Amino acid sequence: MSDRRTVTEDPALRESLSGLEASARLPATLPPAQFPIETLVPEVRQQTPAVGQRATRPDARLHGLGQTKYIDDLALPGMLHARIKRAGIAAARIVRIDTRAAEAMPGVMAVVTGRDVPVNSFGPSLQDQPVLADERVYHAGDGVAAVAAATDAIAAEALERIVVEYAPLPAVLDPFEAMREDAPRVHPPASNVYAHKIIRKGDVERALAEADRVFEGRWTTQMVEHVPIEPHAAIAAWDANGRLTVYSTLGRITLGRADIARTLALPVNRVQVIGTIVGGNFGGKNEISQEPVLALLAKKAGRPVKGVFTRGEEFYASTTRHPFFMDYKTGVGRDGRIRARKVRLVLDGGAYCSWSETTLGKACILATGPYRIEHVQVEAFAVYTNKTVAGAMRGFGAPQVCFAYESQMDEIAAALGIDPLEIRLANAFDEGAASPTGQTLESVVVKASLEQAAARFGWREPRS
Amino acid sequence: MSALRITVNGREHVLSAPPETTLLALLREHLGLTGAKLGCDVGDCGACTVLVDGQAVNACLMLAAQADGRSVLTIEGLATPDGLHPLQEAFERHAALQCGFCGPGAILSAKALLDANPAPTGAEIRDALAGNLCRCTGYTKMITAVHAAAQALRGAGAEMPPLGLTASPSIPLPGGEKGGGLS
Repeated sequence: MSDRRTVTEDPALRESLSGLEASARLPATLPPAQFPIETLVPEVRQQTPAVGQRATRPDARLHGLGQTKYIDDLALPGMLHARIKRAGIAAARIVRIDTRAAEAMPGVMAVVTGRDVPVNSFGPSLQDQPVLADERVYHAGDGVAAVAAATDAIAAEALERIVVEYAPLPAVLDPFEAMREDAPRVHPPASNVYAHKIIRKGDVERALAEADRVFEGRWTTQMVEHVPIEPHAAIAAWDANGRLTVYSTLGRITLGRADIARTLALPVNRVQVIGTIVGGNFGGKNEISQEPVLALLAKKAGRPVKGVFTRGEEFYASTTRHPFFMDYKTGVGRDGRIRARKVRLVLDGGAYCSWSETTLGKACILATGPYRIEHVQVEAFAVYTNKTVAGAMRGFGAPQVCFAYESQMDEIAAALGIDPLEIRLANAFDEGAASPTGQTLESVVVKASLEQAAARFGWREPRS
Repeated sequence: MSALRITVNGREHVLSAPPETTLLALLREHLGLTGAKLGCDVGDCGACTVLVDGQAVNACLMLAAQADGRSVLTIEGLATPDGLHPLQEAFERHAALQCGFCGPGAILSAKALLDANPAPTGAEIRDALAGNLCRCTGYTKMITAVHAAAQALRGAGAEMPPLGLTASPSIPLPGGEKGGGLS
């Protein structure tokens, strides 16, 4: 290639290399260009007062030059490429897995199944998720086997040659059906309701009975995938002392390190996790996924292994935002003041818990909105279904309940003939207000923010 | 294996690659130019955008053999030892690069636009960037950055065309700068 030269062409370099073996005199590839990447100094040197100051991202220079190295831009010597075979069936017992044809393929260096995983369960709160499904499939995106091969194309071809025999089981796909006593259990013998929370304040039933008007409604939100433009990616490499290094797009590397060590039955100090720049996370890269699989493949093959999710896997084999079913019953005075609010939330958690407990808790605390309400009851359930896993996504349940309580606020305002802004100002938190769980709130600027926003876009000006 | 003669970032390469090799694989795996990214592998996200004879293409959908005899520009070939390209400078300055994964593709789509149309309208910029998905939702800042780069390329005296956006005049950029867009 024309852009290559031998380093020994350079007299100074030849001098410095004179003591080395000839094999060390490898051709050096020049960088494509020499870029002006002098240290980028942020314009804002002080942290405070930062508000109103113009700041430049220190990493933007490398992003714009295309020099930022994401996981898929890294390669280790001898590195193999991994692919994971997905079940493609929502609920089933695995009768047998035959990997012989895949293992016989030229270029295939290692194949693993769930039986190769030392501790085949993980999860950030409940360890209910297998690294690779071994006896039972809980949703269609479960991995059942994985291949490491010389090229990604060989690995993909090898997946086609793995034969998995399933005995289908009844699948539960609706959270309300899953809550019924006679519903099939997603994780038998455990109940399909795996997280439950109640918040009570005052006497909500009496307050609803005494309210001038009572409004009821159900709001639902759909499953949402994070769709980071960079798919989940990781590289696993072992050293000769049996230490594992994992490069990963993982956002929470300390948590991931403990989880990886646990699944591999290794002391934590044998595992190093290197988090690099991530091409979008949004909550979807907050727990391990393929990392233990890559580690097992790398150990079996004796070479580093890289895995990059396909765009399809991003949708069915990574976490999503919980679909919410939200029933609101709100008692209001003729003056527009909210006296009581009763909320029931059902979260479709999919096949595994993931960050559902966090999502459930946050949704409960925020479910009644930023409003002074004396009588409150919130009850919430997170439910297993044989579907793609729901986990963390921006706000952990806060956006879902916000959609419900603000939608109902507009309905109440319209029914009572009160301006939507005024009804919010009449009910909003003031400084020192208490949350439904009794937390005293400080720096409360809801009303000021509403007033300022209304002034900015001319809410109170006559509208045509 | 067929011999390919491809000019990449102004340098001619004579290469042989298996026939199924995409232009993206050739750039990333054979030439070590990892600025173009694999985001979806089906031509939806635009993270793999490079310029072939000046035209923005999805490198994941183009075979390397189709680039035979042609000239390819990747993000690595945009800056010079003297400085950043005005688009790179504007994207950095206007905070159009957040996670950065879509940045190289978006910058190259914008370059193809500005090479053909030095004074694009907001609608023309949005149209040119329509094939470059950004999940950090930095579109508004990208559009502002492309306007600023177009202005810089035309010479500082040129007047900034209207953004065609709901600009907020009450939040001016510090330093009396003529920014625009939602900052």
